[in-house]
Amino acid sequence: MKFLNKIIFFYYREYKLNLSGFQDILTNIIFFFVSILIFIFSIGPDKEVISLIGVGMIWTLLLLSSTLSLRKFYQDDYENGNLLIIHLNGFSFGFIAILKTFSHFLFVQVPFLLSIPIACILLNIANDKLFYLFASFSIGSLILSCLGSISSSMNLMNQRNFLLGSVIVMIFSVPVIIFSVGIINMEESFNSLINILFGILLIVFAINPWASGLCLKLSLENN
Amino acid sequence: MIIVKDLSVERLDKKIFENINLSLASGCISILKGKNGSGKTTLLKTILNIIEPSAGSIYWKGKLIKKNLYDFYNNITYIADKTTSLNRLTVKDNINIWKKIFLSNISVSQIEKALKTLKLQDYLNQKVSTLSLGETKKLEFLRLIIENKKLWILDEPLSSLDEDSMELMKQTFEDHCSKEGSVIFSSHHNPGIYVTEEINL
Repeated sequence: MKFLNKIIFFYYREYKLNLSGFQDILTNIIFFFVSILIFIFSIGPDKEVISLIGVGMIWTLLLLSSTLSLRKFYQDDYENGNLLIIHLNGFSFGFIAILKTFSHFLFVQVPFLLSIPIACILLNIANDKLFYLFASFSIGSLILSCLGSISSSMNLMNQRNFLLGSVIVMIFSVPVIIFSVGIINMEESFNSLINILFGILLIVFAINPWASGLCLKLSLENN
Repeated sequence: MIIVKDLSVERLDKKIFENINLSLASGCISILKGKNGSGKTTLLKTILNIIEPSAGSIYWKGKLIKKNLYDFYNNITYIADKTTSLNRLTVKDNINIWKKIFLSNISVSQIEKALKTLKLQDYLNQKVSTLSLGETKKLEFLRLIIENKKLWILDEPLSSLDEDSMELMKQTFEDHCSKEGSVIFSSHHNPGIYVTEEINL
């Protein structure tokens, strides 16, 4: 019961922190919408072309926007020593990685999830595709959060080159993009593609605590 | 309570310190003294099982610390040389978060009393980023009271403190030891605190 309370209050802390840094989340969302508008202006007023490439565009921009927030994933807690305090409070490094991944999903990815309907209106995407977009993004964004956790924890050991972590996330998210966009464009194969996405999620979810936990431990050792 | 036996740490083939021995019983205070870069923080982090020692062992309540790690963590408060309070939040928010995540039973009146003693009662609704370094450090000490653990491990707790605050810390250490608590702290010099063991690095 004590351990469960600690987890609940960990999320209370994350909520307070994210609320005080709400402008960061808002900036990410604004970046997402401004990028969509730039794409629309650069392509021109051709409704059919926009709706044809719209889903791919949404996914690409979601990936880029969520990559923007990766710098904050562990960095603040690492620099002010809170990562160590959380560990000393009884959480293993691997478990901290799991908690932070869900926190990233809740406070960074969910606002994107909620803004997808507006993006669909801007890109003239049919309403019936909205469900598939939600389903693929719900799983895909959790995969991105897991990959983000691994790359951000690696970045703690490599303070000089933040972009390296972002590049790693982008390379590993190629399969996620392929299957997620595939779900929307090939609705008849929905079940098989969503299962593949779910499989990828399980793989990265299993790797994340080990890889991130080890990187967190090593970075604190060398801090 | 805690025994450190022949502890040595090497990093990148360079010896940081070797054959350190420490034995701390309830109600005792140990000081780690040394110049900048002598390995005080490294020794504290090794005791906390963050850094792997190249030789030696650490025991907590008679058992190897690695086999008893979370019981050890349940009984310690660590104050690092940097402040862990969240800059973007107010003093009050920080206290509330600490109270919750450490599942503290401390009452509001006890916190008010501690804030008054630390002369922080007027800053309750101010953001931590607006406090001075000394005030942030004093806020950090509030964690000692909130967590209410037996063993305090403190890295350079007396730096950036004025004379009054230093006197207050001495008093707090003595009070803690009179309640069967123990303290290990690092410092460049001993500002007149009665210590049972002194380790020179």
